[in-house]
Amino acid sequence: METKPLFILLCSGEHEKLQMAAMLASVAAVSERPVEVFVSMNAVLGFAKDAPAAERYHGGAFSKLLTEKRAPDPMALFRQGRELGSLKLWACSMALDVLGWELDRLEDDMFDGALGLTRFLSDAENGQFITL
Amino acid sequence: MADQVLDAKGLNCPLPILRAKKALKDVPVGGTLQVIATDPGAVKDFEAFCRTTGNDLVESKADGKVFEFLIKRTS
Repeated sequence: METKPLFILLCSGEHEKLQMAAMLASVAAVSERPVEVFVSMNAVLGFAKDAPAAERYHGGAFSKLLTEKRAPDPMALFRQGRELGSLKLWACSMALDVLGWELDRLEDDMFDGALGLTRFLSDAENGQFITL
Repeated sequence: MADQVLDAKGLNCPLPILRAKKALKDVPVGGTLQVIATDPGAVKDFEAFCRTTGNDLVESKADGKVFEFLIKRTS
């Protein structure tokens, strides 16, 4: 059975969507399904290096529950996915440019580099595409 | 007697699967990992995990709200 690689376009800065992206990516990766995540728009802010959780994660009712019940941190889930499977994260070069940030403003050992949409879309042609 | 035992009780999705993947790295090929979990989704999750990774789900049983899985590492 051939499994299509998973391509996740993560744009939202909402805690709930960051959490879902991290869960999707890490589970797919450990299920031996290659995953790539393109992080853009508000989502980039969730990956700011050394930002405390309270600054990183904003959302609705569910965000509060995730925090209260100490759900696994999205950054930790992404890292586990990278350690245990094929999981690549790309920072949107346009978003970095608009923010005036370099990759080193983002979490260490998380990103494989900065990328543009053209390349991401082209790589995703034979995969399954999810937008969060 | 399993080569490794993973106590995943109290952990919710996706942690049992992530921890199992990590624990399997220390199981020799042909060896087994026993996982104990309370996550209600675990039964179907572990069936799917073994299917996609090609590992053998040798045993899956439930005792009330506690589930036990025996996974054989195949590669």
